[in-house]
Amino acid sequence: MAELTLDRLRKSFGSQEVIKGLDLTIADGEFVVFVGPSGCGKSTTLRMIAGLEDVTSGAVRLAGQDVTRTRPAGRGIAMVFQSYALFPHLSVADNIGFGLSLQRLPRAEIAARVRAVAETLQLGPLLERFPRELSGGQRQRVAIGRSIIRDPRVFLFDEPLSNLDAALRVQMRLEIARLHRRLRATMIYVTHDQVEAMTLADRIVVFNEGRIEQVGSPMALYERPANRFVAGFIGAPAMNFLAPGCALLAGLAVPAGAREAGIRPEHLALVAPGDGAGGSVELIERLGPETFAHLRLPDLPDTVTLRLPGDSGVEPGTAVALRALPDRVQWFDAAGRALAATRG
Amino acid sequence: MNRQNRIWRTALLAAPLAVFGLFVVWPLMSSFYYSFTNWNGFNPNYDFVGFANFGKIVTDRLFLNATINTAIWMVAAIVLPTALGLGLALLLDRKLPGARFFKSVFYLPICLSAVIVGQIWIWIYQPDWGLLNTVLRHVTGAEHNWAWLARPNTALWSVIVAWSWQQTGLSMVIYLAGLTGIPGDLLEVCEIEGASPWQRLRRVVLPLLTPSTVVVVALSVINSLKGFDILYIMTGGGPFNSSDTLAMHMYNESFAKFRMGYGSAISVVLFLIAMVVIGLYFRQLRKVDRIYG
Amino acid sequence: MAESTPMPARRFDPWPATIFVMLAVLAVLFLLPTAGVVLSSLKTTHDISMGDLWSLPATLYLGNFREALSNPSVHRYLLNTLLVTLPATTGSITLGVLAGYVFAKLPFRGSNALFLVLVAGMFFPPQAILVPLFRMFNAVGLIDTLWPVIVVHTALGIPICTLLMRNFFATVPNALREAAIMEGASEWQVLTRVVLPLSLPALAVLAVLQFTWIWNDFLWPLIFTKSDDKRTIMIGIVNLKGQYSVAWGVQGALSLVASLPTLAVFLFFQRYFIKGMTMGAVKG
Ligand SMILES: Nc1ncnc2c1ncn2[C@@H]1O[C@H](COP(=O)(O)OP(=O)(O)OP(=O)(O)O)[C@@H](O)[C@H]1O
Ligand SMILES: [Mg+2]
Repeated sequence: MAELTLDRLRKSFGSQEVIKGLDLTIADGEFVVFVGPSGCGKSTTLRMIAGLEDVTSGAVRLAGQDVTRTRPAGRGIAMVFQSYALFPHLSVADNIGFGLSLQRLPRAEIAARVRAVAETLQLGPLLERFPRELSGGQRQRVAIGRSIIRDPRVFLFDEPLSNLDAALRVQMRLEIARLHRRLRATMIYVTHDQVEAMTLADRIVVFNEGRIEQVGSPMALYERPANRFVAGFIGAPAMNFLAPGCALLAGLAVPAGAREAGIRPEHLALVAPGDGAGGSVELIERLGPETFAHLRLPDLPDTVTLRLPGDSGVEPGTAVALRALPDRVQWFDAAGRALAATRG
Repeated sequence: MNRQNRIWRTALLAAPLAVFGLFVVWPLMSSFYYSFTNWNGFNPNYDFVGFANFGKIVTDRLFLNATINTAIWMVAAIVLPTALGLGLALLLDRKLPGARFFKSVFYLPICLSAVIVGQIWIWIYQPDWGLLNTVLRHVTGAEHNWAWLARPNTALWSVIVAWSWQQTGLSMVIYLAGLTGIPGDLLEVCEIEGASPWQRLRRVVLPLLTPSTVVVVALSVINSLKGFDILYIMTGGGPFNSSDTLAMHMYNESFAKFRMGYGSAISVVLFLIAMVVIGLYFRQLRKVDRIYG
Repeated sequence: MAESTPMPARRFDPWPATIFVMLAVLAVLFLLPTAGVVLSSLKTTHDISMGDLWSLPATLYLGNFREALSNPSVHRYLLNTLLVTLPATTGSITLGVLAGYVFAKLPFRGSNALFLVLVAGMFFPPQAILVPLFRMFNAVGLIDTLWPVIVVHTALGIPICTLLMRNFFATVPNALREAAIMEGASEWQVLTRVVLPLSLPALAVLAVLQFTWIWNDFLWPLIFTKSDDKRTIMIGIVNLKGQYSVAWGVQGALSLVASLPTLAVFLFFQRYFIKGMTMGAVKG
């Protein structure tokens, strides 16, 4: 139905090419999350899909139809902005009904549909307020209300929750997940928040410098990153990268061509002194359910991060020994590509 | 800390309030006082005449005439430059070759004084060799030597045109600043929701320019009250009082006919009219404040 | 499907060209009046009386400017105007800064009402206080000096200066003031060392507006001065009209000379002026 296809999409601002050929197909009803470092082109891609930015070359297809040159309003797409983009001079009701009123629908019908949308978003009592008089979370709900009222085929979210505090973020995240389940619409969601990406996405698209590094389900990206960039980008705290000859990897079979090894913090374990690589605890971060220890090893330039249970009593300054779970080590070649998994 | 604040407050406010009180508020009060006298301006002896001056106002044909002209002048002198400046700002608010040049051209007249603007436009309206009649002659081929400023039915409006020419640049600059202040994502919402250019202007851009309009109207009111200068230069209130405004009427009564008491009564009425305008303005301002903070 | 779609040529958009032409026509219309004065100032009286004030001059004739600038009265007028404009501009801005600072950073119970009263002063017609002021200055023997003109312009500038400065000061974060006070700065030091340096754009807006209004004013010097050597340039131009009644060119040259200071001030502050308008004025 509303399958979205990007075909060799490119975008240049002047002589600077910022999107360097994207191919991506998003299935109807799928929830796709774009992640990537700042400035890698996520917003630009989103805006090309919306039609707010001209495409330099390539095509955007929606439900089999080429919409590359279609005006934004003709695409049946809704967009929710990071800044909410609410009209300060319109009440909540008028903001939500803005698109409908442009089409000159009867007043009563608009009012009825606005009320219905407001109910599902718990905005009922706020309909007469102005945006200034709302909290951040309420404003974002109004922005979402404005986007769903027209029954768009595709929803675009550009970092919608990044202006909210942590608790509200969790709450709104759940609300968006619920919304997706109820509407079954195609959704594309840009975020810098790992938890949002992992929990909301059917598939995550990892961007880097205007290209797609990898597309896949959250767990697939986490467990089988295609390259060093994805391995380092997905997961917080980040994967530890080690030189193949270091003490921590002693005794492991190094695949041919491997230049670097990666291991996640939860795949390292403390062992009795003498049973593994020795080091000292530099810093402890206690999060409650778990604790992260940053260890200094004599033969590594950077500290190594290790996950421990929440009640672990390790203190900074103690000498420890640690080992890597052998079948969890990932190997990368000189170009940063992941080598075939060595797991049995 | 609190005591400190109080001391500083008093120290900093003393001078501005003293000057304002002595040279604005006090004279305003005295105006009310003189309006009940028959003072002539020199004679230290004068009598209280009660409401006689105000009684005279009611029957003064010239006062009624001046009031009507003041109303026309205020409305036209506020609406025309505001609308023109808004139009220019909307045209200029895009990437255009020569945009800076255009802005300077439209702004230039603001730097000129009423005296000079008046003189320029006297030349334009001059019946025999003035630019306006010369152009009309060329365009229509017929003889035109209409004396624009010397005919009762065109005098006031001719001055209003000159005034608008001068004032447009100011509202243009303020509206341009307002337009750059409209967040881009609000305009993008219009695109996504499918607003036509007209709908975007009417329902988003103009409402969002309200804070600019507040400033423009405030400045226009202030300036148009000063419009005394240009009328004095261009027509002196004539011909046959056809461009006589309250300010001009009051000046003539006080300083030409030396009826300071009666002149004061006129200024009291002028002040009361201004208070009504201010009241309306502040009510509007409160509404704006709720939305835009 | 995988065939890359060639981009169709951009639709021709007639709007930019249309708008450009409209603006060009309007610009010519707007320039015409000013151009007329410039043209007249460059022509001999004879040329103009031949009936072509509005055509391009055949030769550049500078005699009108020589005539206008060699008139000792004109020197006197210009000097008087400067003697009025500079102190009144500085004075009104200074007082506006003081009051604006209190209203923005040291509010007290009733300060909003007081502020409204001050700002309302901006709207009432200055003619309403003409007579009492005349009497007041007459009583202390200051009529026919420049003092009343300076003082009245200073007083009448307070509302607009207070309004703009308060609005601009309000945008300066309170934390800056509090941090400076924690460091031991006095309120006066906060104002002069912290807040004012951040407010240059607002000061520029006021400098341009006040200088232009006061320089160009006609009413107050007309009321308060009588003798020729106390008149300001705008009155002077009107007075000289008789002397140069048919010398249109000299009148034109005089007008240009009288307008140069305000133009210069605007050009000098232009960059700040636009910025100040954008930052402060729009927030009513
Ligand atoms: N209008 C523009 N003109 C020129 N360059 C632009 C423009 N918009 C974006 N860019 C550039 O394009 C690149 C991609 O920008 P984009 O906004 O898509 O990044 P992003 O991935 O959304 O980053 P972030 O996570 O910080 O939002 C950046 O290098 C940016 O500088
Ligand atoms: Mg972005």
